[in-house]
Amino acid sequence: MIEVNHISKDFVAPKKYPGLKGAIKGLFSNEKITKTAVDDISFTIEKGEIVGYIGSNGAGKSTTIKMMTGILTPTRGTCTVAGINPSQNRRENAQNIGVVFGQRTQLWWDLPLSESFTILKEIYNVSDEDFKEQMEFLNRVLELQEFFDRPVRTLSLGQRMRADLGAALLHNPKVLYLDEPTIGLDLVVKDNIRKAIKEINEKYQTTVILTTHDIGDIEELCSRIIMIDEGKKIYDGSLENLKDIYGTTKTVSMEVRSPEKVKELALHLPEILGVKEEDCRVTFHKENNVLGVTFDKHKLQVPQILSAVMDVMEIKDVQIQETELAEIVKEIYRHGMTEEEG
Amino acid sequence: MKKSLRIYLPFVSNELKRQMAYKGAFYLFILISLFGSFISYYLWMAIYGSSDQAVIGGMSRNEMVVYVFMVYVTSSIVTISISDWVSDDVVKGTVAMNLIKPIDYRFSLISRALGDMIYRFLAPGVFIWIGLEIYKVTVLGMAPVTVGGVFLYLLSCVMSFLIYVLFDFCFGMIAFFTTYIFGLQLAKDALLSFLTGQLIPISFFPEAVQRIFDFLPFSSMVYTPVMIYLGKYTGETLWFMLLRQAAWVVILYVLGSLIWKKVTKRLVVLGG
Repeated sequence: MIEVNHISKDFVAPKKYPGLKGAIKGLFSNEKITKTAVDDISFTIEKGEIVGYIGSNGAGKSTTIKMMTGILTPTRGTCTVAGINPSQNRRENAQNIGVVFGQRTQLWWDLPLSESFTILKEIYNVSDEDFKEQMEFLNRVLELQEFFDRPVRTLSLGQRMRADLGAALLHNPKVLYLDEPTIGLDLVVKDNIRKAIKEINEKYQTTVILTTHDIGDIEELCSRIIMIDEGKKIYDGSLENLKDIYGTTKTVSMEVRSPEKVKELALHLPEILGVKEEDCRVTFHKENNVLGVTFDKHKLQVPQILSAVMDVMEIKDVQIQETELAEIVKEIYRHGMTEEEG
Repeated sequence: MKKSLRIYLPFVSNELKRQMAYKGAFYLFILISLFGSFISYYLWMAIYGSSDQAVIGGMSRNEMVVYVFMVYVTSSIVTISISDWVSDDVVKGTVAMNLIKPIDYRFSLISRALGDMIYRFLAPGVFIWIGLEIYKVTVLGMAPVTVGGVFLYLLSCVMSFLIYVLFDFCFGMIAFFTTYIFGLQLAKDALLSFLTGQLIPISFFPEAVQRIFDFLPFSSMVYTPVMIYLGKYTGETLWFMLLRQAAWVVILYVLGSLIWKKVTKRLVVLGG
């Protein structure tokens, strides 16, 4: 459905110098600096996939999306969406796609929402029957009827986002681009939006590309994720795989009866278990007597740790936590990919 | 073709509705610009009063009255500043929202302007026009305008409108390079009020300057329809003026297409 081949985008900006002196210098200098926002990215997305396109702020996510929608022309490389080159045939491509930019609206600000839909019906040339059917469907999944007659400017953010999603789907696009669709929404609305996206994907086999900073979006929706950093692709694969590679640590939290012995144990635990100190970190919360051990799951097993602790003291309660995706992503944003997986 | 034009109709009706939603601002605009017309009316009356010539710059005192108010009517329906919308779109980054739809950006802007034009024609344009006609016939004792005259004037107005918006589209494209064009817009408005004959009829300028104006599109924007209304152009001159307007429509259309092609190649969308 979507093929992206070695796509790059450079932005050229005049060079700025600091200070007042710099500002004057800037008036006379003609120096330009080129910033590569997207650097040689390739991927293929099949029909019906929901792909999470993630990366830190300014990594180049939105720029890639804008190239795939035909708003920006790539500096190098090509991209094909449903057989059409978006930057050369922007209008044909626009007929096939739906776009939601979470921070912007494509609705008519001063008019009732219903008017926006009527206009979009004309623009996308949707037939009366299709319009009726699609509106029924959208009303069901997005519950638009409660604010359908109100001017768009009076809608709350959650309502506006639902309306925008509906507007992007009115012409039943083959590809749906969602640029941070859940930004700033409360948990219930977020959940509704996710459900709606899922339902649309199932019903129409719509290909969905989603950029987000919300790990919940990714865990609930995406079967595949593409991660970029500083304009380069650093990961492309399933969510499980990513968790497998990076989620190497687990934490066991134990509520203990004899806190006085903890200090002694903490010092010797790695030794007892026969691993290096960094593979087995111990923390202790005095307020609730909880002893936490974070360890590498490839090197140690939970029972080993439990028995080592229970040899010394009694345990009241045990909890085991896997590393969360949020932690993994944070780690990658901070340090980039390690060599072997990069 | 018919279908492809139909998709721009909502833009026309939308702008109409939007204008009605902001009535207050609009009536204020009418009041202020009408005020300007009265100032220029009294100024001209003073000039004619102190002059011993009955005809200045090819215009009699009565014709000047008609000129001043018809310039008001014409410029209020013709000069619809779509470059405002373009710069707004660029600054807020909403140009992206227009580009994700299967529509031509320029056509959508012109359609919006058309809605604006219709609204301004209905309120206040046509009322001031009728008022002026009544005043002209009863007080000034001039002959009423003929049906043919009205038709030719409106035809010329439509082309003036197209010339203005097509020119303003090209002008608005500067916003894609400089982001803000507010200052430039002020300069444009000041310059245009001169070049279009809004302030002073072009026939008052020296011969040489008038020859230069002949090669610019500006006199076709306001001056031509008003002169047609006044019946200053007849026979061959009339057709030449209308053809010149049509030529400017074509030239500015082509120019706008070329610039737009260039702009989309190096488009930068602001704000994420």
